[in-house]
Amino acid sequence: MTARNVKKKTAATPSGLEALVVGGGSFGTALATLLARNHRKVRLWVRREEQAQEINRRHTNKAYFPELKLPSNLEATTDLASSIAGVPFVLIAVPSKGFREVARQVGDYITGDQVLVHSTKGIEPGTFKRMSEVLREETCALKIGVISGPSLSEELMAGNPAGATVASHYEEVVRKAQALFAGGPFRLYAGSDVIGTEIGGAFKNIIALMSGAAHGLGFGDNTKALIVTRGLYEMTLYGAALGADPVTFTGLAGIGDLMATCSSNLSRNFRTGVRFARGEKLEDILQSPGQVVEGVSATRSVHAQSQLLGLDLPMVRAVHGAFFEGQKVQDLLHRLMERTPGRENGRAKGSF
Amino acid sequence: MVVEVVERVLQDKARDPGKIEALIFDTLYEERRRLETERDRKKAAAEGKFYRKMQARALRGGPEEQREVLAEIVRHFAEEVLGHFSEPMYRIATQIVPVGLNLLLNTLSPLRLISHFPKGLGKVDDQILIEGHTEEFQRLSKQGTMILVPTHCSNLDSPLIGYVLYRLGLPPFLYGAGLNLFHNKLIGFFMDHLGAYKVDRRKKAPLYKDVLKVYAGYSMELGYHNLFFPGGTRSRSGKVESRLKLGLLGMGLNAYIHNLRHDKPNPDIFVVPCTLNYQLVLEAETLIEDYLKEEGKARYIIEDDEFAQVKRILEFLQGLFSLESRIHVVFSRPLDVFGNPVDAEGRSLDHRGREIDRRKYVVQDGEYRFDPQRDQEYTLELAKSILESYRRDTVIGSVQTVAHVVWRWLREVNPKMDLYRLLRSGGAQDSLTMTEVYRRLQGTIQALRDLQKRGGLRLDPELEVSDPAEVFGKALAHLKSYHKHPVLERKGDRLFHYDRQLLLYYQNRLSFAEPNL
Repeated sequence: MTARNVKKKTAATPSGLEALVVGGGSFGTALATLLARNHRKVRLWVRREEQAQEINRRHTNKAYFPELKLPSNLEATTDLASSIAGVPFVLIAVPSKGFREVARQVGDYITGDQVLVHSTKGIEPGTFKRMSEVLREETCALKIGVISGPSLSEELMAGNPAGATVASHYEEVVRKAQALFAGGPFRLYAGSDVIGTEIGGAFKNIIALMSGAAHGLGFGDNTKALIVTRGLYEMTLYGAALGADPVTFTGLAGIGDLMATCSSNLSRNFRTGVRFARGEKLEDILQSPGQVVEGVSATRSVHAQSQLLGLDLPMVRAVHGAFFEGQKVQDLLHRLMERTPGRENGRAKGSF
Repeated sequence: MVVEVVERVLQDKARDPGKIEALIFDTLYEERRRLETERDRKKAAAEGKFYRKMQARALRGGPEEQREVLAEIVRHFAEEVLGHFSEPMYRIATQIVPVGLNLLLNTLSPLRLISHFPKGLGKVDDQILIEGHTEEFQRLSKQGTMILVPTHCSNLDSPLIGYVLYRLGLPPFLYGAGLNLFHNKLIGFFMDHLGAYKVDRRKKAPLYKDVLKVYAGYSMELGYHNLFFPGGTRSRSGKVESRLKLGLLGMGLNAYIHNLRHDKPNPDIFVVPCTLNYQLVLEAETLIEDYLKEEGKARYIIEDDEFAQVKRILEFLQGLFSLESRIHVVFSRPLDVFGNPVDAEGRSLDHRGREIDRRKYVVQDGEYRFDPQRDQEYTLELAKSILESYRRDTVIGSVQTVAHVVWRWLREVNPKMDLYRLLRSGGAQDSLTMTEVYRRLQGTIQALRDLQKRGGLRLDPELEVSDPAEVFGKALAHLKSYHKHPVLERKGDRLFHYDRQLLLYYQNRLSFAEPNL
């Protein structure tokens, strides 16, 4: 094949599509909406035909945004093969639970020149793998990246100013992502610490569960600040053990996301913590429509992995105790408070 | 070839005229430092004269003259590197390999010499086991350009590889061999005829390294198969490589993009990792000594080791072959320059076995393009895959296993002792019972077999079938066959440890598998 032939084949998609967002949940819809409002030629892949028709005909996605109208230039599809062919930028926004399966389908069609980014804030249950690792295993893509940061879908849909980190080892990935969102209300800051950015996104959900539980028990902002700050410390310990740059956690993917998630009623993880502390059963909470609570499965994964790594993460242990070991949230919080406080930045036991 | 190499280096280095002067004087500084320690005074005088002349011209000349000076220095390096390589000779050599190399092996190879030793010595062909993906390697070598990247623990590695390539019926591979290899006349002659070009590792000037890199890359574009040790130097610690030098490795991708841009009919470059596995290592004593002495700042060049003594080489080989100790040369699955596995037809495959159009990786805006940052990341991906292959295809024998068992026991019974003190004093106990040795061996052998089943490494057949007592006996016999001072010695029901440095060295081969043992 000659260089010219390559040009013929890959210069543009048949439709001139600039980006494909895979996943019609709340975050996928919000990101696709932002791109569409930014006058990008974007397509949203959804699993169900009815959902695709609803978006295309009525310009709504009522399951997630009952009150909102989607941009008319946002096109939905269930045809992954033709949508993915030649599109320069593919963004996967599906929950971690089904991530591998979707990644495998994407892997059937994606080619090495395409950029593949995800925005899933979770860890694969059982394998402890980060989503970029799953993408590497399930696709031939090498130019992989992650978008993570404070990005509550409802606020993004409302057009409120927001920002996140896009991290990749490949500058081309970062450049392309920034260019697509440039000019809109969602700013992407460049990073290269993929591990840290992914860990930040997954870990903050655990802290949000705890913060929500404290809120549910009637504790105030001092308690939440304590939880968030010590949670950040545990996040840093855990991330650093996996090879992350601790500085990443001082940015949007770390403290930024914690600030948004750990006190907002828009956060599903925070809300789950509140409801759980007020006596609802976890199974019932998780069965609520449209509820994918990444923090619950992240707690299992991080708890198990921290034991393998020999890390002492008291707050993760407490959340695990509450959600999976039948212990009372009040007791766990009291027990945390009874620990001998260590140095604030020390690595000694009693870090809470 | 020299002209093209010079042109390419200049294209890159002389792009910014403002930096030429600094580049010239940095190079002259490094070269003058090197010449101060050059043993060959005649050569040093001649080179000194050349560099003084270059300095004078660079000082008086303007930008144009300085570009010329830079070109002359680059040419000087390129001619030295390529000096021993003759394209017609190489072509002839590749065509008459079966005759020419056979003759060479029969007359000059130390391996062959050994095979002529009287009585009881096995044949070289039976002692060197060539395993793994040899068929793919052979087939792909006709379809594209191969880069062979073996592990490196001994100076015997290069002649061994040369011999193995001959056995596989493959042409010689271009190989940048350190000058010190040529000091041994026997091996030097052998190397010269295996496509080796000389690399002077004492030359520290970055410009010299650029010449080497460009030359290797250009030769790949021309279709010459290349061989280099991506670990850079022999493993001092005995560990399997865990880090690779990316500069030379990246030239494969560079050549691939060049080939695509020029519509070459066979643009493909395939990378074949390969592990070289000995029971004993010729230079083990010197290497581990060097590793410990320098604490990680190992000398890059060692000229006075066992390899410099033909007698030691012969002793080593005699011991090795008299015990029918096999050398395993394992060819891993070929890779493309992005680290993806390649099948026998040359197709790149993803983790699920789906075919990849690898050309797409270098397409940007519809064109095949260089992108230094992207290409560096691709090379890191390749390095990662090579390192995985190394671990998977490392063959563990009885020596490494017994060394591991005894070393682990030493660490356990001296938990707080500093490494150096432990090596020197041997800790609190000078021996352990044989019952304990066998008990521990049993567990380790089982763990190794399990790991092999999971594809984590390979085992020498002696470990697959033997019981702990047999494995122990074989390991001790191997160690005694070459190392002058006892490493381990059995006295009655106890095993005494003496040379703990060698224990550490041999057990280190297993260090990558440690969490599973």
